Amino acid sequence: MVVAHRRRVGRVLAAFGVLAALLLPAVPVAAQEPLVLRVGTTQDLDSMNPWGTALTVGFEAYTLNYETIAYWDENLAPMPAFAESWEESEDGLTWTFTISPDKKWSDGTPATAEDARWTYQLVLDALAAETSVGLGYIDYYLGDAGVTAVSAPDSQTFVVEVSAPTTRLIPNYVPILPKHIWEGQTLDTIGDFQNEPPVVGSGPYQAVEWQIGQSVRFVRNEHFTGRQGAADEVIIQFYANAVDTMVQALQNGELDYARAVLPDQFNQLTGQPNIVTVAGTTNGFTELGFNTYGTGTGKTIPNGGPSTPALLDAAFRDALGYAIDKELLVERILGGYGEVGTTQVPPFQTAWHTPPATPRTFDMELARQKLDAAGYVLNDAGARLDKDGNPIVLELVFPDSEETFAQAAEFVADWFGQLGIVVNSQQYDQDTLIDKMLPPEAGEEYTADYDLFIWSWGGDVDPNSLLSIFKCDEIGASSDSMYCNPRYDELYALQNATSDPAERKRYMDEMQAIIYDDAPYHILFYDAQLDAYRTDRFGGWQNQPSNGVPLFVYGPLDYTLLTAAEPSPEPSQPAGSPSAGAATPAPSPGAEPTASGGDSTLLIVGVLAVVAILAVGLVLFRRRGPTTEEE
Amino acid sequence: MSAGTAPVDVRTARLRLRARAVREFAARFLSRPDGLVGSLILVVFAVLAIAPELFVGPLETATSATGDRLAAPTPRHILGTDDLGKDLLNLTVHGTRVSMLIGLLATVITVAIGSLIGIVSGFVGGVLDAVLMRFADFFLVLPTFVLALILAPILIELIGAQSEILGMRVTLIVIVVVIGITSWASTARIVRSQTLSLRERAFVDRARVVGAGNAAIMRRHILPNVVNLIVANAVLVFASAVLTETTLSFIGLGDPFQPSWGLLLNSAQAAGAAGLGAWWFVIPPATCIVLVVLAFTLVGGALDDVLNPKLRGRR
Amino acid sequence: MGSSFLVRRVVQAVLTILLILVLNFFLFRLMPGSPERSITRNPNLTAEAKAELRVRWGLDKPVFPDQFVAYLGDVSRGDLGYSFKYRGAPVTEVIGDRIWPTILLFGAGEAIAIVVGLSLGAYAGWRRGGPIDYLGNGLSLVLYSMPYFVLGMLLLMVFSRTLGWFPTSGMLTSGASYAGPADQLLDFAAHFALPLATVSLGLIGLYSILMRSAIIETLAEDYVQTARAKGLREGRILRHHALPNAILPAVTVVAIQLGYVIAGAITAEVVFNWPGLGTLAVTALSARDYPVLQGVFLLLAVSVVVANLLADLLYGVLDPRVRT
Repeated sequence: MVVAHRRRVGRVLAAFGVLAALLLPAVPVAAQEPLVLRVGTTQDLDSMNPWGTALTVGFEAYTLNYETIAYWDENLAPMPAFAESWEESEDGLTWTFTISPDKKWSDGTPATAEDARWTYQLVLDALAAETSVGLGYIDYYLGDAGVTAVSAPDSQTFVVEVSAPTTRLIPNYVPILPKHIWEGQTLDTIGDFQNEPPVVGSGPYQAVEWQIGQSVRFVRNEHFTGRQGAADEVIIQFYANAVDTMVQALQNGELDYARAVLPDQFNQLTGQPNIVTVAGTTNGFTELGFNTYGTGTGKTIPNGGPSTPALLDAAFRDALGYAIDKELLVERILGGYGEVGTTQVPPFQTAWHTPPATPRTFDMELARQKLDAAGYVLNDAGARLDKDGNPIVLELVFPDSEETFAQAAEFVADWFGQLGIVVNSQQYDQDTLIDKMLPPEAGEEYTADYDLFIWSWGGDVDPNSLLSIFKCDEIGASSDSMYCNPRYDELYALQNATSDPAERKRYMDEMQAIIYDDAPYHILFYDAQLDAYRTDRFGGWQNQPSNGVPLFVYGPLDYTLLTAAEPSPEPSQPAGSPSAGAATPAPSPGAEPTASGGDSTLLIVGVLAVVAILAVGLVLFRRRGPTTEEE
Repeated sequence: MSAGTAPVDVRTARLRLRARAVREFAARFLSRPDGLVGSLILVVFAVLAIAPELFVGPLETATSATGDRLAAPTPRHILGTDDLGKDLLNLTVHGTRVSMLIGLLATVITVAIGSLIGIVSGFVGGVLDAVLMRFADFFLVLPTFVLALILAPILIELIGAQSEILGMRVTLIVIVVVIGITSWASTARIVRSQTLSLRERAFVDRARVVGAGNAAIMRRHILPNVVNLIVANAVLVFASAVLTETTLSFIGLGDPFQPSWGLLLNSAQAAGAAGLGAWWFVIPPATCIVLVVLAFTLVGGALDDVLNPKLRGRR
Repeated sequence: MGSSFLVRRVVQAVLTILLILVLNFFLFRLMPGSPERSITRNPNLTAEAKAELRVRWGLDKPVFPDQFVAYLGDVSRGDLGYSFKYRGAPVTEVIGDRIWPTILLFGAGEAIAIVVGLSLGAYAGWRRGGPIDYLGNGLSLVLYSMPYFVLGMLLLMVFSRTLGWFPTSGMLTSGASYAGPADQLLDFAAHFALPLATVSLGLIGLYSILMRSAIIETLAEDYVQTARAKGLREGRILRHHALPNAILPAVTVVAIQLGYVIAGAITAEVVFNWPGLGTLAVTALSARDYPVLQGVFLLLAVSVVVANLLADLLYGVLDPRVRT
């Protein structure tokens, strides 16, 4: 009997093993353990195609796969990437890039100026046809730089002609693609191209395996001509809706880097051994925006647009600004990790940010007075009326991508409610929200049907991207406030055209003042980027720029700067692991950092427990009869 | 006491009989420990749902929050606070209303649809019965929860998230409707099988001979005889409706502005409460859910035994 | 007669699957927004490109029968459309990786729960009123009343965060390199333990309650009483009379409950970030990735129908009365 039972248990174990073996990708037992950098993010990669993603993690993936013509250095100045050097002509209208004759794609084929020409021409074609390459998030870099023509006179020389001298050409986010892989694609098909791994590119690491929704694995590009980082492989792990899990993984040593942790988690991680937390200043903001559709144009949308003309009145919007306690928002929602918001050019842009001369303060009474003075009075029931005598009921929309939006919405609805203005909040998924907010300019089916929104923007190295969202011609594209002011457009053109920083700053000062005073946005806060990383396996962590964070910033700089850490002084290596200690992740993520040899014991206990349950169940089931018969 | 009053006597006699039956039922029901304990729990939660303000004051909002971020229980906040500093006792008690209300409405819809289809199907029989029961089997087999995942957002978008129906936000109504249309099938099955046996009874034949129409027979003769079954079933449906609501809210289909227990657990998960050791964010709503579902299950089981002794355990 | 039962059940199952396909098809057409929106995320598509896409996707043809027939054809070829979120990646590819983890979790969970749950229920029912009955039944009721994700969160807090016995999430340590398959298996087992415990505990509650009442009912039947009267020993009565008769209805109920159970228990995956269909469904939900959601639904629905069919056939084999 006993033998029979044991065999049964054996069989169960064997079945377990077979199943697991079926399930798991075979992992070759490498003689030399590769050094793997493991990075966690709460975003989920949506596309391996550079033209098919708008997510930070998507940009991170493609700037690892592909070089841009130049990369960003630690001060965000251009540094050699696809081009080893470049030269601007005297008149500033011609840029000549030199590509190294040794440059190769990761598949070994030579990478030449023709590849760069082909990629840039694709973008220029899209701009000329007033369409876009894929989602159209990258094209405008060449548009803003005023690129008119590109050519490749020989395989080492790439020439870009621009309409006016520009500081916007390099660095830019256009990835240089291998023509021999991509040339079958047209503007109509390129957005759908899946670009399945293994990816062929010239960046420092190439994606070789993408488990959708879980992780993407990159391996070192042996042909990469830039500085090589210490990691042989990079794994970016996605923790959608699981930030808690990500933090735990970092603490357990399963991850080397965690992007975007919550304030309380950040506090918890700070000061833990081998963990460094960094609160980076971000180049972006979270705003409360107004639907001002029709401002200046008088246009209306049947069955859509702002629900009350009050939204088009700058005095109304200004008054509401006094009913927002931005300091409380920073304290409560961000846990103090951020700054009170003011203008559309974040303080990150130290050279360009200009705080308002007379910032609004939180003062409910003043807000009431200003509303009364502007002609928005209360009725007997305590409801605030617009100038047509209708109660003001505002629809506030926000995406479900971040918890902070819903939290901010709760505050705003509360405060405005105290002014007699009813705010109905509704959360949407991002794509639905984009469709809901687009105006007829984007297509006849759209109606811009909302009043208020809470959302956020992230900017580029150059402030242009954050300045442009208030331009009249962005209505139907990136404008979500539907704001239109000819003077603002004029200033935008002026600042973009000038090459004198002082002059550009003057224009930008006025643009910031206009938006602050006219208040199509109340910028709620500049939230900090809360990241954390481990120092026991890698060194060489470098913030980019110095007030930023190391990864998910501008290009793959820090991946190429990382060094292998000295073997940890802690006796945390379990017996039997290779001498290249730092190269091997702790096999047991669940163990306490101090536990050493006990790791595998615990695992065995776990497995045995499972098996025991099975076995006990079987035994009970089989032996029930005999035991009870004795009674 | 003239002869003319005889019908009245009959009626009072009947009423007395009925009152005695109710008393006996109550005595039998409450003498069972499961019935008693379950009922007590439900009474407590019903009171909390009806008048949460009496116990914990008005619902705390972001601006009226009184505590610090994620503070552990203190005498002032005996269940601690959430990540915006709102008092968790306050939120949990107020969450009772949404959870129970959704459970109640979903149960009403489920039981109404289920009973109607069950009675009609069982009584009319034939092709209609075959078709309806195929349909019920279809819903019985379907992983309805996954269907709810697809239906809920589609309905919310189609109806328009801003609109209100009967003073309830559409997101809540949609949850009710989705639970209703995905869980009526087992009620229909149970009611049908009872109807089938009732249909063959003598009193139904008698009614038919007297010339009563199908609708009238179903209403006057079948319905009263399956009502016991429906009541016992409804209580169990309530339990699963609360579970479904909780689960839907947990995975993000709840209404962020009307706290329910599922939504609290969703916020706890989003705030990383477990990893931060903020057990007070998880335990109170979790305990409430378990208590309420347990209570409904106990009461449902007890009712089933007391009301339908012969049917006990049968499906 | 036996074969006609078989045929009838198979036909029923096929009809149910057809009904699921119809439902799925119309759900997709019911979706808000223009169909183009469902196909491409490119906001700046030219009118010609849009028209081209409509032709390519057959949207220029009438919904019925053309689009429906085309849909059936697509599904039969295993083409479930393209994900919104993952920018046109085929749904089958998105779902593909996620099937095995779910099968493993549920297969093992169900197996454990059936064995333990039915045994516990049978014993509790047989020794009704005894200490095991009180303890087991009470525990079962509590487990049954607990949503899977709550159970998962509690286990996670106790065994992973506090005691540190098990890893918190996933199926394998990311980026780990293993000394050998045994190491990898151990790593897997450590990750597997808590999700498995969650699913099986949740199911044990349900199954033991079912089995307990089935046994109690069977023990009250006449033939058991007769057997008792004949002086047969209790154990023999349980094994030869009560158990076989109680286990059949219990198995049917287990099969019927499958759809309900799978659906609820996928939330356990979310808590542990287990890379299965449940986690996928929830992330697809938050991105409103309807094609992926529908793919998951179709897959689960068809599996449940097939499982039910198998259970019925098994029932037919076990219980000769059904066949006649």
